[in-house]
Amino acid sequence: MTEASIVKSKRVRSRIPRRTGGGASMRRRLYPLGVPWILPALAMTVGVIYFGIGYTGAASTLSWNGLTPNPPSVGGANYLRILGDPVFWQALEHTVIFFVVVFVAQTALGLIFAVLLHSKVRLAVFYKIIIFVPVVLAPAIMAPVFRQIWGVEGQINWVLGHVGLGFLEQPWLAQSSTSLGVIMSIQIWEFTGLTFVLYYAAMGQIDPAVLEAAHIDGAGNIRTLISIIWPEVRGTTVALAMLTAIGSLKTFDIPYLVTAGGPNYSTEFLGTYIFRISIPAGHVGYGAAISIVLLVVALTMAILLQATGREKKGRIR
Amino acid sequence: MFEARSRPAKIGLQIIVTIMVIPYLFPLVAMVQGSLSGQGWENYARVLAVPGFALFFRNSAIIAVSTIVIVYAVSLPAAFGFSKLRIRGREFYFWLILACITLPEVVLLAPLFALASPLGLFNTYWSVIIPLAALHIPFAVLLSRNFIDGIPNELFEAARVDGANTWHAFWSIVIPLSRPIAAAIVIFTLLASWNDYLLPLVFLQDPSTETITLIPQFFVGEFNNDQTKVLASAVITAIPEVGAYLLLQRLFERGLSAGAIK
Repeated sequence: MTEASIVKSKRVRSRIPRRTGGGASMRRRLYPLGVPWILPALAMTVGVIYFGIGYTGAASTLSWNGLTPNPPSVGGANYLRILGDPVFWQALEHTVIFFVVVFVAQTALGLIFAVLLHSKVRLAVFYKIIIFVPVVLAPAIMAPVFRQIWGVEGQINWVLGHVGLGFLEQPWLAQSSTSLGVIMSIQIWEFTGLTFVLYYAAMGQIDPAVLEAAHIDGAGNIRTLISIIWPEVRGTTVALAMLTAIGSLKTFDIPYLVTAGGPNYSTEFLGTYIFRISIPAGHVGYGAAISIVLLVVALTMAILLQATGREKKGRIR
Repeated sequence: MFEARSRPAKIGLQIIVTIMVIPYLFPLVAMVQGSLSGQGWENYARVLAVPGFALFFRNSAIIAVSTIVIVYAVSLPAAFGFSKLRIRGREFYFWLILACITLPEVVLLAPLFALASPLGLFNTYWSVIIPLAALHIPFAVLLSRNFIDGIPNELFEAARVDGANTWHAFWSIVIPLSRPIAAAIVIFTLLASWNDYLLPLVFLQDPSTETITLIPQFFVGEFNNDQTKVLASAVITAIPEVGAYLLLQRLFERGLSAGAIK
């Protein structure tokens, strides 16, 4: 009620100058000062995130376990140490592989599901639910399930044994050659639903007349997919590339909980490595230096992807 | 999209979709099956009988609802400001906020750690809510600014001629018209905060404040690594999430794709 009365009184006040004032004050009132409106958002991001980045930047020049009061400064030594740290480079390599594989697989699967479920398949709602349910389930909740499924005595090996592929049975999570593949498959399982929903919505916006015309001209299903649908949903693909890239750099829950970054660092990602270095191992200074490198990589990638996305958009229109 | 006029073609499509969907169903079936092995339904009874089991859900709900409220209450006015009001250096501030989208939360752990101990925020909901909100405001601002950009300026000009001030315009034009994007913000923030693992792992050490994502770990300790009970707890934890999705299916799908459609 007080709010309403404030609104009212301001309304009355704002009416007075309009009767007397000229055109200039009129324009000023059309686009009044907007800073107070963005202030809370700025305060939150600057107060938490930029504070965090600043703090991390400062900590990255220290040799610090996070507890001692006056840690010695070591300058750029932490950054130099990164250059010679094989685990860091491994983690970076895993992140790149993870991004490429997950993006390609999710784009292909999401696109195919979206096309198929737009094609008058029976029980489409049922299929949609199955594909989308993993999106709402917490990776942390599903981690024990996947540890069980891919375990030596798990369901994957059981199925392989029962379809005559027993020679493929192996300790999936306990060997370096397969662990990263399992982690990627879990990520794909979790997030295909999101890709699917985005493509499904984007395809709903394609003018049916265009598709009809293509069919009349004799274009087959595959031809239509490549020449009409794929270019029409390009905006979504670019957005998904961005989301997947940022998501890859943030990867933590699944490798941490399913394989704990192992065996032998084969599923170590930047997120899990920073966590292990900073919290359990207590090398806060070194962890902060890797954090800063991670931030620089993330920002550079976002800018690059944004630029390529814009370029492509410009070319089409 | 695909034309399948003949009967075999239709059946073929159906078979392809069914085969493709099996790997998505498989882990869920394995989860339920695993939770029922050993002592069968007794596993569920034992998990539900653990004192304080409901607290995990209460804590997650408090954190998710508070985060959603903060993100919404902060992002929508900001988006309105960026889109329709005069701000000097507007794009600079916008990019300042937007750049935070790329920030992985693990980077914030050490600074938040340093901040939380002197402020006494350990084992409080705030230690999770505030960083979560700050991390999700940038995306919410981006989504809602794009949306509000699409509301014609004439509407605001007309409101002003009728004597509405900025606050009134926000209240009676932006809020009602931006409902589709509000759904998006609510769903994105809900999924992110309900499913968040890293922040509760570090900042909530007291079982009475822990969230649902810490349940598996808790039960590994509680039941001496009895996998069937851990899986039973996972099923119970998944039920409300799946239930919420099934009830609000349209809202989830529209909300998540709202940013993709213009």
